Amino acid sequence: MNNRKHDLLWIVVIAVFVLGITSLASAQALNSGAQPIALNAQLAESLTVNLSANAVNFTLTAGSATNAGSTNITATTAWVLKPGRTQVTVDAYFASAAAALTDGAGDNIPSSAFFISDNGGASAALVNTVAFGAANGGLRLATVPIVAGNRNSTRNDQMAFNINLTGGTLPQLPAATYTGTLNIQAQATP
Amino acid sequence: MTKRRTTIRAAVALSILWILASLPGKAQVLSSGARTISLNANLSESVSLSLSANTVNFTLTPGSATNAGNTAITATTNWTLRPGRIALSVYAFFASSAAALTDGAGDNIPSSRFSISDNGGAFAPLTNTAPFGGANAGLRLATVFVLLGNLQGRRTDTMNFNIDLSTLPNLPAGTYTGTVTIQVQVI
Repeated sequence: MNNRKHDLLWIVVIAVFVLGITSLASAQALNSGAQPIALNAQLAESLTVNLSANAVNFTLTAGSATNAGSTNITATTAWVLKPGRTQVTVDAYFASAAAALTDGAGDNIPSSAFFISDNGGASAALVNTVAFGAANGGLRLATVPIVAGNRNSTRNDQMAFNINLTGGTLPQLPAATYTGTLNIQAQATP
Repeated sequence: MTKRRTTIRAAVALSILWILASLPGKAQVLSSGARTISLNANLSESVSLSLSANTVNFTLTPGSATNAGNTAITATTNWTLRPGRIALSVYAFFASSAAALTDGAGDNIPSSRFSISDNGGAFAPLTNTAPFGGANAGLRLATVFVLLGNLQGRRTDTMNFNIDLSTLPNLPAGTYTGTVTIQVQVI
């Protein structure tokens, strides 16, 4: 019993001591002046397009509507935008609508005969005027509205290609190697 | 013989004169009362903090965990304390944990994504509640236990900074600004 009283007394003494020290310390806290450090962090705008490959071959059949490209190509568009941007568009285009592909001898395949299916959708000819390239030589593959949640984002466009040789004088296209360059480009507006 | 007597008489006379001349002097010493002067020299307690620079710039890479500040900053703490002080702590803190840095358009970098490495140690985010600043927006950089031998002292904390954007994939482009404050408390 005496031991218990003794222990209790010690606990009380220690508690009082600790409380006293704590209250004394908190009451007399001494603070330095506050020194501010200004922080400036710059996250620059960016918009990039990467392609899974850079060449497509076609084995043409005269007068055929279906001349598929040898491979699909995926365009990956990545962007980091400032608030105020409202949309990102992805365009495919040629520099010339009349001569999307040419044999260099005056025989051409127009952009209207060149089709792209984007992400498994219907094939569409490059007959529109888009943000880049020639008039009537393009196709808008995608339009992405930009909101607060996707100012920093990516999208993929898997493109399948076809050349339709049934229109106009194309069935009479001479045998040759026809070459051309299709461009893929993205734009953020405004 | 007569001359000798005369000499002795003269010597005795001079001695008597000297004694008589000196006796009144001793008797006339006069002293004032002692007046005390109290001396009070007060060495005030002080703790001060200075920084080697006041601005840090970051060039952010989207989604990157490593976006280091362009410079380290050294905080120098000087103190003069009374006996009875226990510890001195150096804190870094933001006013808000949710918006440590902001573009002003509602896009924020929280304090949990802002880290400081003190004197080459591991980077630690500002996620604790310090005596100053916002809740969960602070970091204790250092604690110095005060003993008799260091009632006067000095320490330096060289801080390197980093912003981790790995968990902020949707952060838009912009200029994000904020203020991290360094302050010392003695208890």
